[in-house]
Order: sequence, then structure tokens, then C-alpha cells
Amino acid sequence: MKRYVLVRALYSVVTLWLLVTIIFGLVRLTGDPVAMKAEAGADPAYVAQLRHSWGLDQPLHRQYLGFVSRLLRGDFGHSFEKSLPVRDIYFERLPNSLKLGFAAFLFSLALGVPFGMLSALKVNSWWDSAGKMVALLGLSMPGFFVGLVLIIIFGIQLGWLPVLGKGPSAVVLGEPSTWITFWFRDWAHLVMPAFALGWYFSGAMLRITRSGMLDVLGSDYIKLVRLKGVPESVVVAKHALKNSLIPVLTFAGLNLLVMVNVAIVIEVIFNWPGVGQLLYDALSNRDFPMVQGVVLMSGLLIVVLNFTIDVLYGYVDPRIRLSR
Amino acid sequence: MRRGLPLLLVALTLTAMSPDGATGQQPPILSGPLAKLDIKPAQIEARATPKGTLTVAMHFALDPGWLDPLEHSYAVTMQMYDYLVHDAMIKPMPHAWVSYGLAEHAEMAADFRRAAFRLRPGLRFHDGQPLTTADVKWTYENFKGAYAKVFQDKLEHVQVIDDRTIVFHFKEPFIDFMDLYNGGVSGIGWIVPRHYYEKVGRDGFKARPIGAGPYRLVSQQAGAQMVFEAFDGYWRRTPATRTIVVKGIRDPATRMAGLQTGELDLAFGMTGKLLPRLMSDRTLRWDPNFTGPWWLMFPGYSEPGSPFRDKRVRQAVSLAINRPFLVKQETQDISKPWGNWISPENRDALQGQDAPVPEYNVEKAKQLMTQAGFPDGFEVEYLPFPPYFDMGERILTDLRAIGIRGKLQSLEGPAFRAKIGQGRKGVPGHRTIVQNIDPRAGGSKSNIAVYAVCGSPASFVCEPQIEALWTKHQASLDQAERERLVKSIQRIVLDEHYFVPLYLNSFVHGIGPRVLPEGKGVGKYWDTLNAPYPWPWEVWEVKADR
Repeated sequence: MKRYVLVRALYSVVTLWLLVTIIFGLVRLTGDPVAMKAEAGADPAYVAQLRHSWGLDQPLHRQYLGFVSRLLRGDFGHSFEKSLPVRDIYFERLPNSLKLGFAAFLFSLALGVPFGMLSALKVNSWWDSAGKMVALLGLSMPGFFVGLVLIIIFGIQLGWLPVLGKGPSAVVLGEPSTWITFWFRDWAHLVMPAFALGWYFSGAMLRITRSGMLDVLGSDYIKLVRLKGVPESVVVAKHALKNSLIPVLTFAGLNLLVMVNVAIVIEVIFNWPGVGQLLYDALSNRDFPMVQGVVLMSGLLIVVLNFTIDVLYGYVDPRIRLSR
Repeated sequence: MRRGLPLLLVALTLTAMSPDGATGQQPPILSGPLAKLDIKPAQIEARATPKGTLTVAMHFALDPGWLDPLEHSYAVTMQMYDYLVHDAMIKPMPHAWVSYGLAEHAEMAADFRRAAFRLRPGLRFHDGQPLTTADVKWTYENFKGAYAKVFQDKLEHVQVIDDRTIVFHFKEPFIDFMDLYNGGVSGIGWIVPRHYYEKVGRDGFKARPIGAGPYRLVSQQAGAQMVFEAFDGYWRRTPATRTIVVKGIRDPATRMAGLQTGELDLAFGMTGKLLPRLMSDRTLRWDPNFTGPWWLMFPGYSEPGSPFRDKRVRQAVSLAINRPFLVKQETQDISKPWGNWISPENRDALQGQDAPVPEYNVEKAKQLMTQAGFPDGFEVEYLPFPPYFDMGERILTDLRAIGIRGKLQSLEGPAFRAKIGQGRKGVPGHRTIVQNIDPRAGGSKSNIAVYAVCGSPASFVCEPQIEALWTKHQASLDQAERERLVKSIQRIVLDEHYFVPLYLNSFVHGIGPRVLPEGKGVGKYWDTLNAPYPWPWEVWEVKADR
């Protein structure tokens, strides 16, 4: 087991190094950020000073080595566009993305799992058709469209919900009380973006739950349990649901990461100050350090999650760790 | 930006406390003859209790770097934050392009080798510390922003006479000093507190800046939001609004929704397809906010093989464009067809009868094309200013009528700006038409210096005739002669059709119902010359919070 974990850890490190190198190279193919900031007719001395202060006057290999050595110290550099350390800005935004991501995640679970179960239990019935319709709508109606419709109905026409931002509550580092209260305040700001973001994932969740349940309900051990005369509710809740949720939970974990890190469109539409909007701004403005920082942090979360899942798989299933 | 004649803030003005240098009411600082300065007295206004919250939406993400005048870029956006948190020695105000700010008196030696300022008494930063000439000197010496090299190269030394009096000595005549030191042009005149900057450092200052302006920053979430509270110790007046919240909202539909739900009171950049919606909403108001003219350029026109080498072809392009129709389609008829490529808010810009709107005459344009040897036209690349791609398509449709067939290249903003910043070199080939706009402050000479002289990195015109006039302009110490030369250069650019003006752009802003005064009176907030944003902020008034 120890060797297996070490090998997986090594894979993770290599993956992260590749990510660091690729993102470093890719952002530099997108153009010169100095030209954008300097404006037409800027004094060459000003342009040179800007290039120097951003470290872009160094040869590429020096920039790369500097970037990697700073990364190892946990320093992502200074944002070109927002003029402050990337790390500070990222961690200021992360709680907002987590709040939105968790809310959307809960919504997608709350809608997707029960409807998926119901569809599977009442297969080919009216319930099943309704479930399939919800799944189809979820997967085919893009989040930005759902968001705009929500804004028009509940924000502008009815005036029930605010359309901009996350509200005044925020996580303040020096004030631990805000770490808790942040999650439970300004829910009115959260409703529409969480719905719009979770809507797509709820459709996918519904379909996975339904197919997982159908697979399990048709298996031999469920037939045996039924033959033993176990009540149907116990068959479903204790034996079928538990096993059918394994792929659902794996999928849900990855969904959560996506919702936290790249909810770009929803964050832009609702002006939600999260990590996705940060990435969008950075890409639009050739903000190399910010793009690198956000992508690496997202990549790090995914690599850590995958590593954890791999280790857990190896732990629960000896065939996996022995086969590698 | 201001429309028409200046609107003086007569009603609120109690007294013009600070006489300018020309009146002689202030004791002189410099010995010897002085140059005539056109700096208007500051207007000290009534003090009242600030009330209400004004929520403003910028049309892009917010940069904490905008709060640091020491790194002031060329971007006019920074001045919006200068006017909130900081204050300048001299700056544009609604009543004058140059008004006294922190300085109550200024002098310039007749040989332009010395400039002197006297600060008003009792100035304080937001932390209560006094603002003195030591801060003025330190700001000058530590300034790293746009034009920094000019300021440093020209400076011989700074002489601090006392806490309120300072003299800048230059190595050579620095005739443009007062123009560049003006807060409307560069960041060096916006005074930064030395004691605080040295204590918190560069990053700390951007995160939690203090200044001597009408508002102090109370919180910010980098890129997303800044919250400002009124500073009741501001020397000119107590700000009328208690809290100003600025949000960065890139999506225009979201800004529109924010205005409609009342979450926003002011949203910038409501142009394009949203404009009819804004104009038809009875609860909202809008301001036309004319910025600068659109114009076309012909990179590489002077090179062999370019169809635009022939003046008649350039003129034909101008004649083929239906400007009134373009204005109607693009701006709901708010804008005006225009005959110059330099903003009319520059005093020395040709306008009116001196620069009439070019005629629309397709037949004449076709004749000129035939005479120039292009009866069947030719193909061009067309580079529109992002994101005004629809406008580019409309112009290409007009040009098609005289045989000029264009392929539109839609670049995103940074890529376009990078090309334009390199001038002719950034746009290879010689069959390209570039659509541009640049409402820069600093007089017509600044537009000419950027686009129409050989030495500029962004030069699109390099003509011996213009160069001769420009060299003379740069050497002259006579303001009247300089103005004449600047007008002559504009005349050449227009007569030779090096640039083809289109129309005066309106950069419309949406205003919510909580902003006072009710009705159309809100237009007064855009009275400052060359200001795309509505400063000064201390005059903004809103209804009290519920």
C-alpha cells in the first residue's frame, strides 16, 4: 500500500509540474500585456519600466525559473491588472466561489438524486417521463440562459431577488466570527446564481442516479433480497440506493470542483465576485500571474482530489493497488 | 464630458476664496518676469451633512492600482479614483480646464525654467496628518507613472521654501510643465502622503490608500468592489453623498438589470444594443457624455503600391460614408457627425466652420476612384475598434458602394490596442483601414504627438510638412504661436484626408431614480472638460437611504 501511495503521489507531482509548465507557456502565447496597459503613444521609458517591473524584460527561461521558485515558496506573483499579490486576491475570492459552488451543488443533489431515484423506481411511468424531461432541459438549457430568465422574472419583473453580487457579508481573515456567519447571510443573493449554476448539473445527476439505480435494481442480489420478503422500502433505501450512489458521489465530487472553480458565465451574469470571474478578467487582460495562479490552484484542487480518490480506491479494493 | 458652454456652479458657490496668480492678491514667490497662467480660482462650496449611498458600476474589473497616483498610467480611468481619494495641486473642474486644487497660487517664470506653488492653509490627509510641501516634493521625486521620464529629465532640483511654498527648478525651459502637471493629464500632481506610503509600502497603499480627497476608502474586494465614505475634513466642501460604492461589472446586460432593480444608481458604458432599452425605460435617465470623435486611418498610405497613396482615394472614402445614418444606427441619433479627429473639448481643436462635417456624395466618390485609377475598386482589410464591430460592418457597407470591398478583422481589445500602440509597424501591409477613437486630455497637441508625427511609437502619419511645423512648435515658447501651429497641423491632416473623421462619440451612462436632482438636471455631473467620467464626486447627490 505504501508503494502504491508513493507512486500516486509521484504522478500527482508530475501532473502539477506539467500544468505549471504548460500554463506558463500558454499564457505567453496570448500577446504582450505591456502593450495593452501602456496605451497608444506611451513614452518608451514608461513601457520599459512597466516591462521591467513585471519581470517581462527577463529571458523566458529566467522568467520560468523565477516563477517556479516563487511557487515553491507559495508566491504566485503580483497581478498585472489588479496590482496586488495573486495569492491574496485568490483567497479573498475563494470563499465566495465555495459558497456559490456548495449551494449549487446542494441544489443539484436535491433535484437530481430524488428525481433520478423516482424515475428508476417508476420506470416508463409518467414520473419517469417527467424525470427525463427535467434531465433533458437541464442538459440542453445553458446556465446563462436560465440565469437571464431568472433575472428578468424574479429580479426585474417581480423585484423579489437581487441580481448583483453576493451581498455585504464577507469572510474577514482577522475576524473568525465572519467565517461562520458568511455562509448563512445574504441568501437572497445566492438563490438565482445557485439555481442557474446547479441546474445543468442536476440534469446530469438525475440521469446518472437513474441509470445507476436501474442497474442495481436489476442485479441478482436485489432479486434475492426481494425473494427473502424484505419490504420494498428497505430494498430501495438500504440495498439499492447505497450501491447506486457510488458513481453518483464520484461524479458529484468532480462537479463540485467544476462549480467552485470555473463558474465563469454564471459569475459574470450575476456579477458574483468568485474565482471564475477572476479568471475571466485575467484572461481578457493578459494578466499572466493571475491566470497562472487561478489555473494552478484549480489544478491543485483537482490533483489533490484525484489523489485522495485513488488512495481510497486502493484502500477499499485490493485489486486496484495490486494491479499497479 | 461637458456639452456646450461651461455651467458654473453658481448656486452653491459661496465665495471664490483662492485668487489666481494673475490677480496679484497673493504675495509673489518667484522673482523676475512671470508667464501668464490661465488657472481659475477654486470654488469653495457650502458644507452640509452627507447623506445616502451612490452605487456605481464600472464597465470593467476594478484595479487597486488605480488608487496609487505614483503609478498613474495614461488611462483616463485612473482619474476617477484620483478624484475620489486624492487631490491635485491643479486640476480640471466643471468651471475650468485648470482650477486650483491643493495649491491656492501658482507661478511660472517667463523663461519656463521655474514653477512655484503655494498650498492652501490647513490641508490634511484622511488620517489627520498635515499635507505639506514635503509631500509634494516626495510625490514628484517618487512618481513612476506616465510622463515620469519627462518630469525627471527636466528637473534640476526642488526647493522647499516652507511648509506651504515649493519651487521646481528645471534644467531647460519646460513650457509644457503646467499642462502636464495638471491632474487631468498626469498623476504627478495628485499628492500622496509620504509618511503613510513609506509605512505601508506599495502593496499596502494600493490595498488601503489614504489621500487628501473628498472620500476615503473603507473597504475593497480587489477587482470587484470598492467602498468610499465621505471625508468631512475635505477643504472644498463636505461631500453631498455619504457612501459611494463602486462595482466592476463587465456585462452590459447585468449593468442594465442592476439599474432596473435599483441596485445601481449609475452605470457607465450603456451603449450599443442596450441603448434603446435604457432610453425607453421611464424610471431611468441617461447622459450622452460626448467623448471624442471616431476617425479612420490608412496605415502605410504613403508607401508605393498603396491605393491610399492617392489623396483622391482617401477623399473618396470620406465621401462614401453616410455619417447621419451611421449616427442613427449606432447611437439612436444622440451623437453628431463630426469634421475633426480631435475632441472639440480641446480649446485648440478645429471645429465648426473650421472643420465642417464632410459631405456624403457617392457619385463624387466614384468619380474620384475612377480618376485615381480604381474604377472597379479594390479589396481592403478593415480593423474596427473593439467591440464596435457592427459599426465596422456599416462602414464597409458604405464603402462597398464605391467598390471598396473590405474584410472585417475582429480583434479583441488588448490585441487591437497592442497593434495601434505600435502605429504603422503594428499594421503591416498597405491596404488596411483602421477605425479609432482616442479622447485624450492635454490639448490637441497630445493627439498630434501620438498619431501624426514621425517620432511617435504610434505614428500613422509621417509627413515632412507636418514635421516642420511640429519641430517649430516644440521649440517655441510662445503659447499663441504654438496654438497656431497645432491648428495648422490639424488643417493639413484634414485637408489631405490622412485621417477621415466620422462622428462625435457618445459614451452613454445610465442613471437611476435615486440620483438628485430629478429630471434632466443630472447632466451637470458631466460638466468637467475632457472627463469621460462624472467627477468631481463630492457634488453628487442622492436621496437619503431608506
